[in-house]
Amino acid sequence: MARILVIAEHRNGALSEGTLELCKAAKAIASAAGAQPAAALLSKDGSLAAELAKYVPEVFTVSDGNLENYTADAYTQAVKAVVDAQDVKGVVIAHSYDGVDFAAKVAMALGCGIVSNCNKIEAQGGNITFTRNTYNGKIQEQKTVKTDKFVATFEKGAFDKEEAGGAGSVTAVSASISASRTKVKEVVETMAGSVDISQATIIVSGGRGTKDKDKYNDVIVNLAKKLGGEYAASRPVVDSGWTDAARQVGQSGKTVTPKLYIAAGISGAIQHVAGMKGSQCIVAINKDPEAPIFNIATYGIVGDLFEVIPAMMEAIG
Amino acid sequence: MKIVVCVKEVPDMESKFKIIGDSKIDESQIAFKMNDFDQYAVEAALQLKEKFGGEVMIVSAGPERVAKEVRQAFAMGADWGIQVQDPEVDAGDSFVVASALFGAIKTIGDVDLVLTGVQAEDDQAAVTGVMIADMMGVPHCTNVVKLDVDGKNMKVNRELEGGKNEVIEMAMPAVLSIQSGMNQPRYPTLPGIMKAKKKRLDVKKAAEVGCTAVGAAGSKTSFVKMFFPVSDHKAEIIQGDPKAAAATLVNKLKNEAKVL
Repeated sequence: MARILVIAEHRNGALSEGTLELCKAAKAIASAAGAQPAAALLSKDGSLAAELAKYVPEVFTVSDGNLENYTADAYTQAVKAVVDAQDVKGVVIAHSYDGVDFAAKVAMALGCGIVSNCNKIEAQGGNITFTRNTYNGKIQEQKTVKTDKFVATFEKGAFDKEEAGGAGSVTAVSASISASRTKVKEVVETMAGSVDISQATIIVSGGRGTKDKDKYNDVIVNLAKKLGGEYAASRPVVDSGWTDAARQVGQSGKTVTPKLYIAAGISGAIQHVAGMKGSQCIVAINKDPEAPIFNIATYGIVGDLFEVIPAMMEAIG
Repeated sequence: MKIVVCVKEVPDMESKFKIIGDSKIDESQIAFKMNDFDQYAVEAALQLKEKFGGEVMIVSAGPERVAKEVRQAFAMGADWGIQVQDPEVDAGDSFVVASALFGAIKTIGDVDLVLTGVQAEDDQAAVTGVMIADMMGVPHCTNVVKLDVDGKNMKVNRELEGGKNEVIEMAMPAVLSIQSGMNQPRYPTLPGIMKAKKKRLDVKKAAEVGCTAVGAAGSKTSFVKMFFPVSDHKAEIIQGDPKAAAATLVNKLKNEAKVL
């Protein structure tokens, strides 16, 4: 039976949460496509294989010294080896930093189509339709793949995590992996700052809509101080140097779960939402009524944050 | 150093989007601009040229109006460019666009570096750069936030989740996708804008750059439809002028949500 193959993501001896979501996605695709879910563990020694086999009925391992660190070159060779050795219809990969780095290369190696950044699948007569975010999350599109095989990447949170419990088989796939042209030297921390916003119970966060550094300080920092909370930012604010990287919320920054998260001038791109959607109460202030942030907020005000926030300060007293 | 930057024109994401017949955006309501991420790639290329000398070329695919974005990159300081202007490319998927850009890059020859933005704001696919690298047979690195060049050798920081970077060593030729925040893209100067008008922009059809994968036939994926997302959760929108809305909000935060 054809397989839908998850490429497990792991770092520092642990599977990523995204991998468990992919196992769920693979199960959904497999049942729609008349295939069965499986996973591939590409690593130095296959030591996570038994752990991975709790989530899928079959695990294929490729073990090689050149797979000690993730690299696009080595991963692509290893995925190709599994696909060549087994009957694989689709390859599912996380739309993560690593996934984005190698998924398209796998599609090229297999000569197949890729649909990236998906959040949903539907089956129509055995054909898989992939739904994905476009236009900064404002519009969704559906795509299908024309080739026999496919590669799909899934955004984080698109599927629930698969429950552990099974005891799948583990099969080694032999492959000779040549050294990557990119050499991993080290992993460094770039957010070493004095502040840890992840502990705050109230966070006031500003985005591109805060316009400039002075205005960001005027509205965001002042409101945060008034509420006894911390101020934070979405990526464009940090990119522009209006505040420190340690205050960035989102996929590439901190994950926060305060009691109250006020998002002002933040459109709500998926990368930002990934870092704050667990907040207890979310307030969105944005002049664009179509901004995706309103889809996840508890309360929303459609308006100019430079009018709304001073009025809030006044109302707080 | 010969550096190519791939630039894409995208809608301004704050435009009022209207969908026509489940299949396309009503472009008459849209203001177009250069993809934000590509501005960082152009800036990175210009900084390399200033340090090591050489040439910066812009390649782009799209209809006639895309020349505006290419000339914006010229005004920033890029030297010349190629625009693949072919409806059959525009009708294709990422693989077709990557094939067309690769074709254009090949006609330039002996390119040391190809830089792209990490993704296009419209498609959000983040696959084209990796495909181009594969077609060129060179290594790539995505989400680059730092780049040190020493001859043909590079030390590259690749962004990871949670504020971490992976430090990678690799050699040219290569393709790098540049993450926002790596630099502060310069604004075009008035003399720059004047000069940009006279810079060379070659307009080519797909076949003229040796690209045979075009249109729906050359694509590996098919578009089905597009629609506005339906959320099962929508915020409670507080109405009224800013003052009234703010007062209601503060009241709700105190007494309803009990978070103040």
